[in-house]
Amino acid sequence: MNKMPDSMTQAKPATGTGGRSLRALRARLAGVNLAVSAILLAWILLVIVPIVVLFVFSFFSTVQFRTVYEPTLDTWIGLFSSGRWEVTLRTLRIALTVTLFELAIAWPFALWLAKGCRSQTTRAVCLAMLTIPFFLDMSSRAIVWRAILGQSGLVNTILTGTGLTDAPVEWLLYSEVAVHFGMIVSLFPPMVMPIYLAITLIDDTLIEASNDLGASPGQTLMRVILPLSLPGVMAGVVFCLGPALAAWVEPGMLGGGFVNLISNSIESAYSALRYPVVAALSAFVIGLLLVLLGIMYLVARRFGDLSGSFRMQRS
Amino acid sequence: MQGQGTSIPGNPGRLGLSYAPIWRQLGKWGGFAMLALIYFPLIWLILLSISRNPLGGIPGTFSLEHYRALFANSAWHGPMLASLGIGLGIGLICAVCAVIVGRALPTLHNPGRVIFLFVIPLFVPGMSMGAALFIMARAALGLKLGFWSVALGHFVWAFPFALLIVLVVTIRFDQRLVEAGRDLGASNWRVFWDIEFPILLPGIVSAALFGFLMSFNELMRSIFLRGTVETMPVWSWIQAAAQQSQVPIIFSLASLVLLITLPLLCGVFWMLFARESRE
Repeated sequence: MNKMPDSMTQAKPATGTGGRSLRALRARLAGVNLAVSAILLAWILLVIVPIVVLFVFSFFSTVQFRTVYEPTLDTWIGLFSSGRWEVTLRTLRIALTVTLFELAIAWPFALWLAKGCRSQTTRAVCLAMLTIPFFLDMSSRAIVWRAILGQSGLVNTILTGTGLTDAPVEWLLYSEVAVHFGMIVSLFPPMVMPIYLAITLIDDTLIEASNDLGASPGQTLMRVILPLSLPGVMAGVVFCLGPALAAWVEPGMLGGGFVNLISNSIESAYSALRYPVVAALSAFVIGLLLVLLGIMYLVARRFGDLSGSFRMQRS
Repeated sequence: MQGQGTSIPGNPGRLGLSYAPIWRQLGKWGGFAMLALIYFPLIWLILLSISRNPLGGIPGTFSLEHYRALFANSAWHGPMLASLGIGLGIGLICAVCAVIVGRALPTLHNPGRVIFLFVIPLFVPGMSMGAALFIMARAALGLKLGFWSVALGHFVWAFPFALLIVLVVTIRFDQRLVEAGRDLGASNWRVFWDIEFPILLPGIVSAALFGFLMSFNELMRSIFLRGTVETMPVWSWIQAAAQQSQVPIIFSLASLVLLITLPLLCGVFWMLFARESRE
C-alpha cells in the first residue's frame, strides 16, 4: 500500500518535464530540418503519447467488461490486494536475484574483455557473440531448454547415466529454478554490453597513474575502475531488470504455469478485456524501473563524488 | 608495488589486472561459460530438428522427416510471409529515417536529449511498450488492430538500434568533404549521393538489416498488437505453448530461420569490423 503513491509521483513529473523539453527541442529543430522534425513528431506520438495514455488509463476502472472513464484509484488499490501482491513480490524477488547474478558474472567478464583481453580477434568475436542473441527469437531458444532440462532431457540423462541420481531430477524444469536459469542466460548480453562500453572508455593512463602513485591493484579496482564503470552498470541493470520484471517467455516456457509473474497477470487481464488493469500493471513495471533507477542514480552520484575528490587530491 | 615489478613492459595499463590472475581467469571463464550456455541451445536445436524424435530430448537416429513434414505443411506460410513483409518494410523505413535523423543529429547544438528521446523504447520493457501501444490504438482510439499496428510496434522497437548504428558512421563523418563538394559546385543531392552516401553505406545497410532482424524475431509487442493476425514468432509461440504434436516442425522451422539469420548477422559484423580496421 505504501509503495503506490511513490510510484505515481515518480512517474508524473518524469513525463511532465519530458513534454516541456520536447517542445523546446522541436522549436530548435524546426530550423534544422523539416524531415527530422516530422520524424521526431511522429516518434513522440508513437512512444511518448502511448506511455502517457498508459498511465492515464491506469486511473480508470472496469465495470462489466467496459472501461469507465472516471478517475479512480480502484485499479491501483486492486494491484496490491487479492493475491496479486504475492505475484508482484515474487516477480521482484526473481528479477532482483537474476540481476544480481548477472552483475556478478558480467562485471568481471566485461573488465576482462575491455582491459584484460590482449587478442583483438578474441575481443571482436566475443562482442559479436554477445550482440547476435539480440536478434534471435527468444521462444525457440526457450523450447530447446525444455528438451535439455526435461525428464528425459540431456541433463537428466547424464545424471542418471553416470549414476549420480537414481531417478530424473524433477525440479530442473517447470520450476522457479528453471525460470531463473532461463532468464540469466538470455539477459547476459544486455548486462555485459553497457558495462563493457563504460570500462573501455576508461583511459588506460588513469589506471597507470593510480598504479604509479602506489595504489594496490585492489585499490585501483575499487577506487578508479569501479566508480568509472558505474554509468555502464546502471544501464546494464536497466536493460536486465526491465525485461526481467516483464519476463514472459521464460515463465511461460520453463515455469510451466507454476511460476506466476506480473506478465501473466497482464496477459490474463488482457484476455479479460480489463484494460485499466493492463495499464496499471504495465505502468507499475515502468514505475518500478524508474524508482530503482532513481535509487541507483543517487548511489552512483555519491560514488562519483568520491572518485572525483579522489582524483582531485592526487592531482 | 610488487605488481609493477612483474608487469609486462609496454602494457602498463593492464598492470592492475595482471596482479590478480585468479580473478581475471574467473571473470574470463565465467563469461565464456555464459556464452556457451547461450549458444549451446542453438546447436542442440539444430541437432534435435534432424533427429527422429526431437521431443525425446536426446538427438538420436537422424532423419530429415520433420523437414519434409515442414515443407508439406502450409500453415506457416502465411505467418512467414507476413513476418518477411513487415521485416523488409521496417528495415527499409528504419534505414531511411535513421539516415535522415542520424545526419542531422551531429550538427545539432546539444544532440544528447534528442538521442535520449529516440532510445527511450530501449528502456521500456517490451511488454509495457506493447501494452501502451495497444491501449493507445485499441482502447483510446478504438482502431482495429492488424498488420499495421504490429509494424508500428516493431518500428518503435527497431528504430533506436538502427539510429545508434547510423550514428556510429555519421559522427565520424568529416563535414569538410561536404564543404569541398559544394565549393566545387556540386548540388546538395549530388553531394549526398556521390560523397556522403558511399561513406555512410556500411551503417545504412547494417541499420536496414538490424531493423529487419529485430522486426522478424519480435514476439512480446506483436502478441499485444496483433489483433487476429499472426507473425512467424507468434505462430511458433502458439504452437509451442499449446504443446501440440506440431512441435517437431517448429524445431525445423526455427533451425532454418537460424541458419539464414546467423550468416546475415555475421555479414553485418564483418562489414562493420572491416570498416573499423580500415580506419
